Amino acid sequence: MGVTCVTQVPVLEGKSVQQTVELLSKKLELLGAEKHGAFGVDCETYHTAAAISSQGQTGKLMYVMHNSEYPLSCFALFENGPCLIADANFDTLMVKLKGFFQNAKANKIESRGTRYQYCDFLVKVGTVTMGPSARGISVEVEYCPCVIANDCWNLLMEFMQSFMGSHTPGIPSVFGTKHDSIYSPADTMVQYMELFNKIRKQQQVPVAGIR
Amino acid sequence: MPRAAAAGLHFPACPAPPRCCRPRREGAVRAKMAEGVLSPGVNLEAFSQAIAAIQALRSSVTRVFDCLKDGMRNKETLEGREKGFVAAFQESLHSVSRDLGELERLSNLVGKPSENHPLHNSGLLSLDPVQDKTPLYSQLLQAYKWSNKLQYHAGLASGLLNQQSLKRSANQMGVSAKRRPKAQPTTLVLPPQYVDDVINRIDRMFPEMSIQLSRPNGTSAMLLVTLGKVLKVIVVMRSLFIDRTIVKGYNENVYTDDGKLDIWSKSNYQVFQKVTDHATTALLHYQLPQMPDVVVRSFMTWLRSYIKLFQAPCQRCGKFLQDGLPPTWRDFRTLEAFHDTCRQ
Repeated sequence: MGVTCVTQVPVLEGKSVQQTVELLSKKLELLGAEKHGAFGVDCETYHTAAAISSQGQTGKLMYVMHNSEYPLSCFALFENGPCLIADANFDTLMVKLKGFFQNAKANKIESRGTRYQYCDFLVKVGTVTMGPSARGISVEVEYCPCVIANDCWNLLMEFMQSFMGSHTPGIPSVFGTKHDSIYSPADTMVQYMELFNKIRKQQQVPVAGIR
Repeated sequence: MPRAAAAGLHFPACPAPPRCCRPRREGAVRAKMAEGVLSPGVNLEAFSQAIAAIQALRSSVTRVFDCLKDGMRNKETLEGREKGFVAAFQESLHSVSRDLGELERLSNLVGKPSENHPLHNSGLLSLDPVQDKTPLYSQLLQAYKWSNKLQYHAGLASGLLNQQSLKRSANQMGVSAKRRPKAQPTTLVLPPQYVDDVINRIDRMFPEMSIQLSRPNGTSAMLLVTLGKVLKVIVVMRSLFIDRTIVKGYNENVYTDDGKLDIWSKSNYQVFQKVTDHATTALLHYQLPQMPDVVVRSFMTWLRSYIKLFQAPCQRCGKFLQDGLPPTWRDFRTLEAFHDTCRQ
């Protein structure tokens, strides 16, 4: 497990999501990256049920996520809150907790795509889908040998510039709170959660505009 | 003895000389003769007389031995036999001494061979008329040049080697074969306590570096060096000499299944495989057989510069990545970071 940066790449003007993904993949392959299987990250949203929210805590959302990179684990996160890493059968527990947490099925969002390997870098280019429709493109870049996020940020950025050009992101907010502690898979999941929330909101704005 | 035979070849006119009494000056005379050819001003007359004298001397010496060999001639009385033998022997010895005196007189006339030829007597080989069949002279010149050059280069090399003192182990210290087995134990067998002390001192010297010492197999120490949160290094020592290093990632497993340090498998990451290569180069670079503790300390100082492995850009091209790898090389003196291909 190395340091990871998750970001969104905007869909190019006049192109579909699929075409933009293909363009990115082509750039990566030209760079020398090799295909190395597929990956998937999914996220389900749970609303806190009335029993809890009545005590004054206004509708906090909980996200339960899975990452194919860690097939035996399940991640449960609150926005800005703690991240719980549990065994995969945490899902069945959530079913039992129906009284407290209600699954907002329509909000299920996931990113699936191809894994690329280039030297010690792992790049995952995924299509973010919500329900049946593609909503955006996620790019995850991991530098495996390093465990301290701030140590290798410059290096990561230089690598991302080589295939993302002007769409290279700024330093992720999770990096800022890490200081010298070891980067963990939970930090990656927080980044995915933030990305998914951003994409959901992007989707809501035009919908609201039409209405 | 073969020289006497050769002399016989050169002077076929004289009777076969007795093997044990080769005239001593024969070689000198030959040289003089050649000298005469070299410089026509030399007294040729004296030469031919001297050769004749040598022949006379040889035949008189031969007569002495013939006389001895034949022993007493058959005469009527024993007394007569003895008398005849002694008289003949005396007479032949006299003639030998006479001939020798004559030769000595002549040799003074001939004069000394000149020493001005740079190759001395071997220069006379150039007089050989059949160059094609026996190209001894040109071969000799070539050999001479070659050996001159060899000596020159050997001198240069020895100067350089003494400066750098690139001696990896005790048995290359240029001592004679006799002393070699003695020299080895003094530098290779140090008390484990001393090794522990040296390592402890280094451990205290660098706060960001932690060194764990273990001795799983006998007296040889193995170190697990953890450098910040960047990398781990397994160092296999033989006394205070570093035999092998393996660099692995901070999050990689350095133990085998049975809990021992894994000194054989390499890192899964290309960047650390590269650093392992460079560390092995450093082992060969830092060598000072007289002071092995200085070597270990210099190596650790060099290794410590990898604390910024992912943070330092290349000092040459200013970039972080080249072919997907950060600057993995650290200069041995300045400790500056370079990509493998950017260093000189």
